[in-house]
Amino acid sequence: MAPEEAALIELSSVSLTYPNGVRALDAVDLKIEKGEFIFLVGHSGTGKSSLLRLLYREQVPSAGDVYVDGIAVHRMRAGAIPRLRRNVGVVFQDFKLLSGKTVWENVAFALQVTGARTKDVMRQVPRCLDLVGLAQKSRMFPHELSGGEQQRTAIARALVNNPKILLCDEPTGNLDPSTTTEIMELLQRINTKGTTVVVATHNRAVVDRMRKRVVRLENGRIVGDEERGFYFLGLGQGQVLSG
Amino acid sequence: MDWGKVKFFLGEVLANLTRNAAMQITAIGTVAVAIAMLGAFLFVQRTAAAVSDQALQQIEVSAFLRDGLDAKADSALAARVGALPGVAHVTYVPKAQGLKQLRDKLRGEVDTSLLTTNPLPDTLRIQAKHVADVPEVAKTVKKLPGVVDVHYGAETVQKLMRLLDVAQRIGLAVIVLLVLASFQIVSNTIRLTVYSRRREISIMQLVGATNNYIRLPFIAEGIVAGVLGAALAVALLLVAQRELLPVVAQLIKFVPFPTQLPDLIPLAFQLLGVGALVGAIASWISVGRYLRV
Ligand SMILES: Nc1ncnc2c1ncn2[C@@H]1O[C@H](COP(=O)(O)OP(=O)(O)O)[C@@H](O)[C@H]1O
Ligand SMILES: [Mg+2]
Repeated sequence: MAPEEAALIELSSVSLTYPNGVRALDAVDLKIEKGEFIFLVGHSGTGKSSLLRLLYREQVPSAGDVYVDGIAVHRMRAGAIPRLRRNVGVVFQDFKLLSGKTVWENVAFALQVTGARTKDVMRQVPRCLDLVGLAQKSRMFPHELSGGEQQRTAIARALVNNPKILLCDEPTGNLDPSTTTEIMELLQRINTKGTTVVVATHNRAVVDRMRKRVVRLENGRIVGDEERGFYFLGLGQGQVLSG
Repeated sequence: MDWGKVKFFLGEVLANLTRNAAMQITAIGTVAVAIAMLGAFLFVQRTAAAVSDQALQQIEVSAFLRDGLDAKADSALAARVGALPGVAHVTYVPKAQGLKQLRDKLRGEVDTSLLTTNPLPDTLRIQAKHVADVPEVAKTVKKLPGVVDVHYGAETVQKLMRLLDVAQRIGLAVIVLLVLASFQIVSNTIRLTVYSRRREISIMQLVGATNNYIRLPFIAEGIVAGVLGAALAVALLLVAQRELLPVVAQLIKFVPFPTQLPDLIPLAFQLLGVGALVGAIASWISVGRYLRV
C-alpha cells in the first residue's frame, strides 16, 4: 500500500460506552489498508463485535473518529447509512437468513431491497452463488442446508452488492472444525479477489493456521497488533510453534 | 418497466397482508364500519340539506317599502337587494298586485269587498339561497333606505337551523370517534406486521435498504386495508340505499322528502379516498415509529 494513500478503515482514539455504562472500547487506534485480511481476537466480551458495529454504523462512538472508505462514519447522517452498508458486507455467527426464502431469494433480497434492476439481480446472484459454491442448491431453503452451506449463503448475500469490505463476526462459531476450515478458505479466496476482510473470532486454531494480521483486544483496548500473528501475543515473533 | 421489481414488491405486500390475516380482517371490518357511518352521515347530511332547501322555498323574506317611492326607485332597490350575497331571487310586488293576491287568497273566507282602501305597502319578496342565510339577508335588507320593515318566518328558520346544527354536531362527533378507532386499529395491525417481519427489516437495514424502501410495502399494506374497508362500506351503503331507503321514505312521508337524492357514486370515490388516506397515514406512523428506535 502506498503510504500517502489514506487507509480504507481508520479508527483514532475511539471509545464506546453503552447506555448501561459498559465501556466496550477504550481509546482504540486502528488502521486497516485496502486488501488486508485481519483477525480481531480476544476473549468473549472484550469488544470485538462492538468494534465491527462501529464500521457499519450500527453503533456510534462515544468519542473519537471512525473513517470507512473515506467516509466520516462517526458524524454521518442517518440518511447516509444505506450507502455505507452497501459498501460493507456483514456476516454473523447465526447466519441471519430468512427461513421462508430460498438460497437464491436470500441472496437476491439484498439487491432487491436496495432497488437493483432485475437485470443486475439476474447477473449478480449467480456470480455470488458460484463464488461460494452453492449454484446447485439455489432452490433450497435454509433448513435444508448444513450450517456451512447456510454460512456460505450469508456470505454470498454479503457480497452481492460488491462491497469493498467484508466484516465477519465469529463466522465459524456455530460450525464444526472441517466446515470451519472450508469457510476460512472461502474468506481467503474472497480476500484474494480484492475484498478487505475483517474477522472477529476467538477460535485459536483458525487464527494460528491462517497466519494473517492479528489485532488482539482486551477489555476494550488493543493490546497487540502483529503481521502474520498467532492467537496469543508474541508467539509470532520468530518462534516456531505448531497451531 | 421492470416487471421483476414489481413482482418482488407485490410479493412483499402480499406477505404482509397474509402474515396476520385475522388481525387484518378485523382492521378492514373496523374501517368498513367507520366509513359506512361516515358515508351514511354524509348522505343524510346532503339529504337534510335538500330537505331544508325545499323548506326554504316556503320561507321568504318580505321587505315592505316606504310609501310614495316611484317605480324607478322601487326597481333600483329590487336590483340592489338582488345583488346581495345570499339572495337567490327577488320579486317586486306593487301594492295593487299585493291586494289582488290577498283577495284571491281570502276569497270565500272573508268578504273582500269590504277592503275599499289598500292597506298594503309595495313589497319585495326575497328568496335566500340557503336557509342559514335568511336571518342575515333580513338584517341587511332592513337597513336599506326605503325599506320600512322586514318579515320572515323567523321561528321556523331558527328552529330548523338549530336542529340541523345539533344533528351535524352529533354526527360529526360519532364519525371522528369512528375514524380515530379505525386509525388506531389499522396502525396496530401494521405494527403487528412490522413486528412479525422484524427479521426481514433488520436484514434490509443491514444490507443498505433505505427507510423509505422499507416503509413502502407497509404503506401499501395500509392502503390496501383502508381501500378494502372503504369498498366494503360502499357496498353496504349501496345495498342500504336500494333496500332501506324506499322503506324509510314510506315511513316518514310527512317530511317533504326530496325527489332527487344525492348521488352515491361521487360519494363512493370520496370514501375510498378516505380509506386509502387512513391506511396510508396509520401505517406511515407505525412503521416510522419502529424505524426510528
Ligand atoms: N448493546 C449493548 N448494550 C450494552 N452493553 C453491550 C452491548 N453490546 C455489548 N455490550 C457489552 O460490551 C462489552 C463488549 O461486548 P462485545 O463487543 O459484544 O464483545 P465481544 O464481541 O468481544 O464478545 C461486553 O461487556 C458486553 O456486555
Ligand atoms: Mg461478539
